[in-house]
This record gives sequence, C-alpha cells and structure tokens, in this order.
Amino acid sequence: MTSATSSTRKRGRFSWRRVPGYAFLSLFALFSIFPLFFMVVSATNTTKDVLASRLLPGTHLVENFRSLFGAQDVGAAMLSSALIAVGTTVLALAVCSVAGYGFEVYHSRGKDIVMAIIMLAMMIPFAAVMIPLFRLFADVGMVNSLFAVIIPAISTPLLILLFRQASRSFPHEIIEAARIDGLRELSIFIRIYAPTMKSTFAAAAVITFMTSWNNFLWPRVILLDNAVQTMPMLIANLTAGYVTDYGVLMLAVLLTSLPTIIVFLVLQRAFAQGITGAIK
Amino acid sequence: MATEAIVTGGKRRLRGSPRNPYQGRKRPWLHTQRRWNLTGWTFLIPAAALITLMSFVPMIQALFLSFQTGRGSRLTWADPFWLNFERMMGDEIFKLTVFNTFFYLIIQVPIMLVLAMILANLLNDPKLKFKAFWRTVIFLPCAVSLVSYSLVFRTLFATDGFVNDTFMALGLMDQPVNWLGGGWTARLVIIIGLLWRWTGYNMIFFLAALQNVDYSTLEAARVDGASSLKTFWFVTVPQLRPMIVLTAIMSINGTLQLFDESWSLTNGGPAYQSMSMSHYLYELSFLKNPNVGYGAAISYVILIMVAVLAFIQMKVGDKRD
Amino acid sequence: MKKNMTRFAAVVGLAVVPALALAGCSGGDDGNGGGGSGDDNKLTVWAWDPAFNIYSLEEAEKIYQKDHPDFELEIIETPWEDLQAKLTTIAQAQQTDELPDFFLMQNNAFQKNLLNYPDLFTDYSGSDVDFSQFPESVTAYSTLDGVNYGVPFDNGTAVTALRTDVIEEAGLTLDDFTDITWSEWIENAKTVLDKTGKPLLSGIAGEADIPVMLLQSAGESLFDEEGNPTIADSDALRDVIEVYQQLVDEGILTEVNSWDEYIGTLVNENVAGTINGIWIIGSIQGAADQSGKWGITNLPKLDDVPGATNYSANGGSSWALSSSGNAELAADFLNSTFAGSTEFYDTILPKAGAVANWIPAADSDVYAEPSEFFGGQPVFQQVVEYGKQVPSNNTGAYYYEGRDAVSTAITNVMGGEDIDAALDEAQKSVEFAMG
Repeated sequence: MTSATSSTRKRGRFSWRRVPGYAFLSLFALFSIFPLFFMVVSATNTTKDVLASRLLPGTHLVENFRSLFGAQDVGAAMLSSALIAVGTTVLALAVCSVAGYGFEVYHSRGKDIVMAIIMLAMMIPFAAVMIPLFRLFADVGMVNSLFAVIIPAISTPLLILLFRQASRSFPHEIIEAARIDGLRELSIFIRIYAPTMKSTFAAAAVITFMTSWNNFLWPRVILLDNAVQTMPMLIANLTAGYVTDYGVLMLAVLLTSLPTIIVFLVLQRAFAQGITGAIK
Repeated sequence: MATEAIVTGGKRRLRGSPRNPYQGRKRPWLHTQRRWNLTGWTFLIPAAALITLMSFVPMIQALFLSFQTGRGSRLTWADPFWLNFERMMGDEIFKLTVFNTFFYLIIQVPIMLVLAMILANLLNDPKLKFKAFWRTVIFLPCAVSLVSYSLVFRTLFATDGFVNDTFMALGLMDQPVNWLGGGWTARLVIIIGLLWRWTGYNMIFFLAALQNVDYSTLEAARVDGASSLKTFWFVTVPQLRPMIVLTAIMSINGTLQLFDESWSLTNGGPAYQSMSMSHYLYELSFLKNPNVGYGAAISYVILIMVAVLAFIQMKVGDKRD
Repeated sequence: MKKNMTRFAAVVGLAVVPALALAGCSGGDDGNGGGGSGDDNKLTVWAWDPAFNIYSLEEAEKIYQKDHPDFELEIIETPWEDLQAKLTTIAQAQQTDELPDFFLMQNNAFQKNLLNYPDLFTDYSGSDVDFSQFPESVTAYSTLDGVNYGVPFDNGTAVTALRTDVIEEAGLTLDDFTDITWSEWIENAKTVLDKTGKPLLSGIAGEADIPVMLLQSAGESLFDEEGNPTIADSDALRDVIEVYQQLVDEGILTEVNSWDEYIGTLVNENVAGTINGIWIIGSIQGAADQSGKWGITNLPKLDDVPGATNYSANGGSSWALSSSGNAELAADFLNSTFAGSTEFYDTILPKAGAVANWIPAADSDVYAEPSEFFGGQPVFQQVVEYGKQVPSNNTGAYYYEGRDAVSTAITNVMGGEDIDAALDEAQKSVEFAMG
C-alpha cells in the first residue's frame, strides 16, 4: 500500500516544485474559509457589530446562546433535521447503490433507455412538483410527518448516476470469479462490491446528508407544526420578525452547519485515502 | 485480459457471463443469463418506482396544467392550448432570466470543474502535508447553510463592506463598487458565490474517483519520463472520464435549475437582472399572483433545455470502456 | 439467496426501522397543525414573530381565559413566506382541511389571496366585531365587496423618525419637519446635510416601499377600483418619482441593497432618520445607546397633488378566519381581545412596543406614556392619531406585480431613463402579468 511505501521516502524534503501547489491551495482555502470565519465571529457579536462587518470576536456569545434557546426550541429542530437526514441517507444509499450497480453490471440497451428516462427526473424543477406532491401526501394523511420529507428524497437520479459511473471502474472479472465460486448476485453486491467501493459510498453519504440537512423548500410546506420543524425553518423564524437579532441569527446558522461538518470529518478518510492499489 | 476480450469483441453481451455453460444440453427458460438480467432489473425496481411516483406522476400532472390558464384554483383549458407557451415568448422577464441562467452556466461551470479537478489532484498527492486540513477547509462552504452564507456575502459585498474596503485599501479602485446594485456586478456576485460554494462539492466527487485510478498507470508514465502535467492530462483525466461526465451533467443541471443563490444572495435584483429561471418560476407560482398553468409551462421549457444539454453531454463524453 | 436476503434485510432494517419509528412518533399525523382542532375550546393559529405577534397572542389567550378558563390556544410559529407558500399549496391542492382555525396575513397580500383563493377564508359577517373601531384605510385591505375578512392587528402607519440631536445641530427642531410639504422638507434636509454631513433617509434601492408610501399619502394607488393599473397615467406617481430622484441626487437618501444594510444604516448612525411604518421603531430601539435622541413626526405631503396628506402606511397585518376551522370561536376570541379589550392593548404595548390599529386603545393612559427613547414623546398615542387620517389605497390582486413594476421603473429612472418611458414600461409589464 502506498502509505507503506511513502514512509520509506525521505519526509520533509523541501522541493520548489511543491510551492505552486501549496500556494494555490492556500489561496483557495483562504477564499473558502473567510466567510465562515466571519460567521463564527458574528455569532459572538451584537446586531450592531455584525451589521458593521466587525471582524473581531465579541463577548456576546453566551447572551446570544441564551436568546436563541429561549426563543426557539433548538433541540427539537435539531432532532427533526437529524432524523430526516439520517433516515434519508441510509435509505438513499441502500436504494440507489443497488440501482446504480444494476444499471452498470447488468448492462443492456433496455437499461440504458430506462436510465435516460430516470435522468429526466433530475431535471424537473422542484417548484413544479411541489403542489402535486403535497396533494399526494395529503390524500394519504401524511402531511406534517417526517416520512413525508424523507420519501421523496430517497431515490435520486443523481445518486443512481453516481453509483453507475463509479461502477464503471469496478473490474468485472472479480464478479465472474465470484459467480464461478457459486455466490448469489445479491451477496456479490454486499460482500464484494460494497466494501470495495467504500469511497463512493462515503461520498454519496456526505452529499445526501448535506442536501437533506439544508433542504428547506419542501419541509416548510409539508411540515405544519413547530414540534417537527427543521433547522432551516427555525432560522427562517428568526428572520421573520420585525426585528432581527443578527448575532443570534449567525449563532443559529453556525449550529446548523456543525452536523454536516462533523459528518464530513468522520467520512472524509474513506474517500480521500490517497492512491491505493487496493482493488488489485 | 478476459474482460477486454469480451467488451471489444463485436457482440454486445452481458459481462462476466461465460461462453456457454449449457453445451450440448437444452437451455432452461430461466437460464443463467436471463436470471442475471432479471436480477439486474430487480435491483432497479425500488429506485425506479419511487422516482416514478415522486417525480414523473407530478410532472405528467404538470403537463396538463401547462395547457390550462386561470388564476388560483379556477383553471380552464387554454384556448388555443399552447397559449402559455406563446405567452412565454413575449415575457420579457422570462427572457432575461433565461439569459442570466445561461450566462451563469457558460461562465461558472467550466471554471468550477477545472478548479475542482486541480484541487482534487493536488489533494490526492501522497506527499502533501495537512491533507485533512485542506480537504475540510475546502469542503466547508458546502456544509454551511444557505441563509448564513447569503447574509455573510451580502454583508461582505455591501457598499461599505469588506470587499470594497479591501480593494480600495489595496489601491485597486478609488470608488466603492455597488456590487448588488448593478446588473453585471450582481451576476458576478452570484458567480463568485456559486464558485465558493460548489467547488468543494465537486472536488469530493473527483477525489472519490481518483481513488480508483490505477496507480500502475501513473508509475508507468513517470518511468517513461512524462512530466506531472502530461501525466495528469494524458493518464489521469481519461480514467476520470465517467466522473467528469457525471459532474458536468450535475453542474449543468444544477446551474440551469439555480434557485438558492438567486433567491438569497441578490433576490433576483436589481430589477430581475440576476434572477434565474427557477427563481422566476417560484415567484410566479407562490409569490405573485399564482398562475400555475403558466408556471407549469415554464417548468417544461426548463426541463427540455436541461434534457437537451445533458443528452449532448452524454453523447459526447460518455463512453463505456 | 434466501439467507442472504434475510441478512440484507436485517442490516437495512436494523438501521432504518428505529429511525423511522422515531420519525413516525414525533411527527406523525398526531401533531395536528392542520385541520383546526376538533375541540370546542381550543384554537390553532399560524403567525410569525415571537417578539411581537406571538407574544400578543399569548397575552390575548390569558385575557380570554379569565372568562373562559378551559380555553387553549396553540400557536404555531410560521414565517410569512412559509405561510404564504403553505396557503398557496393547500389551496391549489384543495386540501383546506389542513388549515388552522385562524392565521395572520400581511395586508398587502390580503386582496391577492382573497381574490385567488376564496376557499381559504370565512368572513366575519356572523361575528360581533365592530369594524368601525378600526381606521377605514386598514380594514380596506381585508374587505371585499363590502364584506370583512380580516381583523386588523399591527399598525403600519407611516411616520418620519428623526435624530433630534442631529437636526438640532443644524439649527432645526422637530416642528420644522411637521405638517410641511416635500419641497420644504428637502430644503431642511439639505441644511442638515450641509451642517452635519448626515443624510436624513436611507432606503433599499429598487424597492417600491417609499414611492408607494408617498403615493398612498396622496390617496392614490397603483390600481383603480376595478383593478386596472393606473401607473402610466398617474401624475401623482410621476411626482413621487421625481421627489425620489431628487432625494437621491442631492444625497439626502442613501440607497442600500438589502434589508440588513438598511437596518445597519440606522443602528450604526450612518443616517439621521427614516420614513417607514411605525414598526421600524423596534429596530431603531435596538441601538440602545441612541436612547433619547430620536423623535417622531408625520410625513411631508406632496406639492401640486390635490388630495395630498401628511399621512400614509406601509405594511401591517390582519387576522383571517380560515374556512375549515372553528370560525365562531376564533371570531369571538378576536372580538374579546384584539377588537375589544383595552386591557389587552395596555399589556402588550410596553413590553413589545406593539402598536394597535384599534382606535379605542389610544384613549388609555398606557398609550399616553411618554417614551424615553423618543425624547419623552407619547409616540403611541401620536401614531394612533395619525392612523385615523391615513388615506386608503387599492391593492387588488396584482399588488405585488404592481410594486415590482414600480421597482423596476425606479431602478431604470435612477439609471438615467426618462420617467414617462419607465412608467409606460411598468404599466405594460403589469398588464402582461395580468393577462
């Protein structure tokens, strides 16, 4: 494995060829992180300071916390968002990975056509399907339930496409070999494909979690109760009044961003190991 | 190798299937190839069923809606039935939003994909230090929720905001630019916002794909004396092709359906000059006087545009090798 | 195959079932935000803003409970945009059972919703609410064909708020800005600008708030009584845009690009005043260090326009009865509190600064309390007085389209286009949207 071989190279040897790379990365990192830095700093300031673009941290963090938790049920919203995001991610991974695998490994012209049709679904603007979807869920009495938020998000053409494209680089002789060994199709998927494609699963998990967590158009129409509202809806509550406390708002936004960051941190090793020859 | 022989041979056949296991015997109906084919279809069923129910059925309903006119819930069949589409041709605001959206597409998507690829490649280097740090920092913008980053961006690009202050301090200009107040500058702010937020997202896809790049090919190239640029271009990129197609399609789709940034960063302003098509669609259906028939017609037009572009993209880029 | 299927199902099930079970429990059809509540003594309401509207609802609940101890009010905090999206979706999908018993609605959006989705509402004709106790200009928003559909709540009466210390520096007082015309106002503002360097106004560029407010002050609207747009032929509107242009060109009005920037100019002392609905004082008071330095007065009136007044309004909201809820109980509740209880208004005023539209409320002592922040002026009483004199305006179903068209026109005029041409274009785009 690469990590074994790279440790035998001389570490810490300075090379000029690396400088442009580091410079570029630093520049982009700075560009990426600056707005976030501003957000974090603003969470500790008062409205006045936030609006004056103050860049230094203030002393209002505790106060902002108190105002936020006093005004809104942050715990309930976090729980709602978490349940929705986790539920969506688990189900989406299960359903779409199988589908993408199916499209690629059992390839046929018929399947190509079906794939093209499914991709059409990806191009439908959401505002167009909101009302019919609402009617569908209302007819079965599922308005205001977390299920109603999870179900439309489970099967996404994007994820299916992702798994299909990723499967292109999965060598098929292994599947052949497994078949000769007498394994059933589904267990080939579970035992051989899934562990090898960990990086794809991890990437898919991060993307799905993030999309689900930040989703706000659909939940705000279908969820009618404060007890089940999601974090983005809670943030909308904060800006809905006549007076907005911008420090509290930034704090709420910071808290909302944390879970996605944590999920990313946890999963990032899986899709960024460095070059491996693991498949071989 | 056995796999290549199967693929480059003339006939299309299920991969992994041996030549003829039933030599000399009668083939049962549920023979191996058919069983595999059926299993393949079974794998697809949950996903396909959900999509049909959640997307296609509403979309068919929307098709009927697009041939109706009327306000609110009092709808009647349009006369002539293509009335909504005709109306679209004369809708100045719609044409402006189409222009805006395509502008974003043509400028932002290529820049973003190239950036993402470069970054992913840099981060894939085993000799790079602090990898986890770079990765996290570049991904962070995606993790941040929409409301926050739009507020931050608006504050930064305000007339007395950080960006103007910095540029003036550096001597790059002597008058503050009213970023959000001018048509072109507002569009620029949206493009910057899009780049900021989505480069990290695409970088993840490329990183994941780079894991599956065959290291031996890179070694071979280096042994042959190729520079790192050449190795990147001629060895890595072709192997990344499926992923490039994926991210390109996703980006085209995402940009043509752009809603979030137009809504939060500039609210389509000033005077619709930075508004995207989806944002206009939303306004028509929910904010202004609801004309859902017209909205449905617009959504079909958007759908067709995206579909055509994606189709071209697939034909050109996607090869099964 | 079977063994692996069961294993696969088990793995997925173990992960998913607990999550879904929890999801089903916490959300569920049990948490009934919609369909009103079947209970005779319980009401559900949708409203936004905990500091103002929701707080008022809670106080109203307490007051009503004095005579009806079993009464319960379930308040669901819903931002206005979400509320409008929900109303539209519910109406289009014809699922009006999901509505609460009553809900709050922006005055500007009332006509649009009434005309397009009459199925959402019940009117107040069966109730005891005395609408003459509210200013006509405000009930007009929620009245259709002579029938009332809304009980007005928070006051949108427009005021001019000024930094008294800044204008004093320029040798002027609050009286110099009261009951005058725009040309006089602009003269005074120029004096202030010259002597102190501070503009007197700020506004969001390309938004129609200020122009439409000024238009209303002359008793004119963007639409006539039949709902036809009157933008291109309106002399008053032309006047208004000329005034606006003059304000910006002379540096008296600073244009900013977003709501947060606008609030920033007030709180960070970049400007010395503003013209807006009275509700803006909540944001102004956010700068506690400016206490005692502000004062309130009425608006200048347009020169050369017959029917011009010193009064106008911007915004405000009213309570609407839903079609599928307990309209009787809701109307009774509203009648006993928002439309009938001085005690109620006295309670909410000091804590939330919630100024009412209900005229009898102004007679109380609480309303006459001088406000420290505003230099000892009894601002609330003043505002209710102003409210009586605000001319009505016709909103109509296409109000938002009209406002947008005017916004575009102003942006174009500020960019150099001729006023008449811009107004013509605005008229055309509204006609397009209507047809």
